Amino acid sequence: MVWYVASLVLLLGGLVPATLIGSRRGPTDRLVGLILTSAIVVLSMLTLAQAYGQPMYLIVPLVLAVLSVAGVLVFTRLLGPR
Amino acid sequence: MQIAVDVLLFAGVAIVAVSAWAALLLRGVFVRLHYLSPVTSLGGPLIGIALGLENGWGLTTGLILLVVGLLAVSGPVVAVATTRVVAQREAVVLEESPQ
Repeated sequence: MVWYVASLVLLLGGLVPATLIGSRRGPTDRLVGLILTSAIVVLSMLTLAQAYGQPMYLIVPLVLAVLSVAGVLVFTRLLGPR
Repeated sequence: MQIAVDVLLFAGVAIVAVSAWAALLLRGVFVRLHYLSPVTSLGGPLIGIALGLENGWGLTTGLILLVVGLLAVSGPVVAVATTRVVAQREAVVLEESPQ
């Protein structure tokens, strides 16, 4: 039960503001929102995997942690000097 | 042990939630970038340690700690790269600054 509550707080308390940051203003603000969203989703998936009692679900946050870094670095390259 | 798990878990969750809302409510990209660090370097490890204590030693804990470790290491890297791009776009630094 504790893990469900923690997941809910992470999703409502973390993912909602991160998504709002990623959906407003200019491209750099949105990139910050993307970074925050990725980190919070990774942590949410960890707690949800624990809540469901399925360790195999941990593969998803592992892959996301790696790919989100690569994705953000691609965006920093694309948003580079004009 | 369960108390320690709960305290660590909710401390980590609270840090993540407060950092996210602070990043939303404060203005300026540079200010928002500061609030990435508590999520990846403090909140994440606390949640990871709570999960590790809950599961005990094993492959599951190893995988959890790997994920949290990756997050902790990549967070500052990504933040610095983003800061550099923002600084270049706002002409705070020279575009030819070292890679």
